[in-house]
Amino acid sequence: MPSFLLLLHSNVDRPKPSSPDEYMAITKTYMAWTDRIRREGHHQGGQKLTDDAGKILRNAGGRVSITDGPYAESKEVLGGYYLITARDYEEACKVAVTSPHLGYGGRIEVRQIHEL
Amino acid sequence: MAMAESDALVSDLFRREAGKISAWLARLLGPSRLDLIEDAVQDAFGVALARWPEDGVPERPAAWLAVAARNRALDRLKHEAKSAPFDEAAAWRLGFSNPEATGRLDDTLALMFVACHPALAPDEQTMLTLKTVCGFGVKDVARAYLTTPDAVTQRLVRAKRKIRELGLRFEIPEGPALGERLPALIAAIYLLFNGGYTAGEGEGLMAQELCAEALRLATLLTEHPATATGEAHALAALIAFHHARAGARTGEAGELLLLSEQDRGKWDRPLIARGFTHLASAMSADTLTALHLEAAIAAAHAGAASFAATDWPTVAHYYHLLEELKPTPVVRLNAAIAIAHAEGPAVGLARLDALDAEKLARYALYHAARGALLLRLDRRSEAADATARALTCPLTAPERIHLERRLRECRSKPETPIAPA
Repeated sequence: MPSFLLLLHSNVDRPKPSSPDEYMAITKTYMAWTDRIRREGHHQGGQKLTDDAGKILRNAGGRVSITDGPYAESKEVLGGYYLITARDYEEACKVAVTSPHLGYGGRIEVRQIHEL
Repeated sequence: MAMAESDALVSDLFRREAGKISAWLARLLGPSRLDLIEDAVQDAFGVALARWPEDGVPERPAAWLAVAARNRALDRLKHEAKSAPFDEAAAWRLGFSNPEATGRLDDTLALMFVACHPALAPDEQTMLTLKTVCGFGVKDVARAYLTTPDAVTQRLVRAKRKIRELGLRFEIPEGPALGERLPALIAAIYLLFNGGYTAGEGEGLMAQELCAEALRLATLLTEHPATATGEAHALAALIAFHHARAGARTGEAGELLLLSEQDRGKWDRPLIARGFTHLASAMSADTLTALHLEAAIAAAHAGAASFAATDWPTVAHYYHLLEELKPTPVVRLNAAIAIAHAEGPAVGLARLDALDAEKLARYALYHAARGALLLRLDRRSEAADATARALTCPLTAPERIHLERRLRECRSKPETPIAPA
């Protein structure tokens, strides 16, 4: 069965949770969703990424430059990822659409893993 | 399902799963949160006890318990935020965690390294290991240590405070740090085994449980490349050989049966075979430790077809080497007993009498061994005195029954036939 990467993008300017309670509530929705796709046999793994821009490496004419992440070009940051199992893009999207991430104003990019 | 049935299921599961879930949560939340973790695990099992009799046992009880413990841990993390900055990263680690990933060897070993940190006193190490790694309740730990639950709780609180203050990382140490930390881990397992093997006044059943846990932990050490040293294999071999005799060590009346009296058909042969495999791995390492020699001695006994067939000169030779590495009164005592078997009771008694009697005054085996040798030399009244002296030392119930029988034997007239026990 093919594997898909769900890339969870978030808007940099999104309002931050203001209290532990709010954090907890959000964490719990992700946790419940993770448990659900695990029960359904889709879940393979997933991690939250740290809330920073990361680093970008580029080869500019033979010289590699390292710059701070994508803030400069985009209002979005990659906040986390899931690796799931699904029959095809259709099923992968059906799984992704139930994620609480969309409800918090995030965007999910679904990409199939190239099987070798 | 009947209430009692699900209670039994939960307590069985608790022993098996609590340590695994604790290790998994310690990886996610850090070892300074052992209190929070233990409470969360305890809560989860409480919920299971309350719900399962009515709702039925879930399809995958272990994963269910891990989910419940994790949810409780998250609640407790929120509670913690009342007095400290909210640990957002820890909450997210819980949020993305996989409750089916409990029971990883790396996690269990990392937890053992935390519990057995050299900064903790030896009994703190073993108590904390029993509590967090082995899933023993405070009452069980108290029973193993012949003390009160309150006293155990106090020791555990102190141990966990030390761990917080040390700011330990949750990991299997690497490089020189591994060499510094592994001896404490091995010593703690040895202590657990020894506590089980020679539990003073303790219950026989508890002693066996401690041995079984020590065997399990020593075996875990030999399964990870970082900790599978020659000494770890020697420890696993030693415990396997001893534990293999557990079922043959007591007679029908609960009395202690000596090596010479045991039905060797009751020895656990597959476990002895495991012991020999570990011993072979131990011997292929380039260091020779006291544990190697103790394991080799236990192997000589385990491999003998009968007591009479024991290769005593070899056993005495190993004891001689062991005396050089570990010249404790107890090792010297056992060396003298081996020499008595190899070279006769008179030589053995001379060795015993050359020992520091003061240091062994409260040690039953010393007096019991003197009594046995004196009896073999037919010095009956001295034999009776020594045996009576042994009976004033701390003893397990089976040992007491054995020595009382010996005392009657010493006091019976030589021509009186000795009644079979």
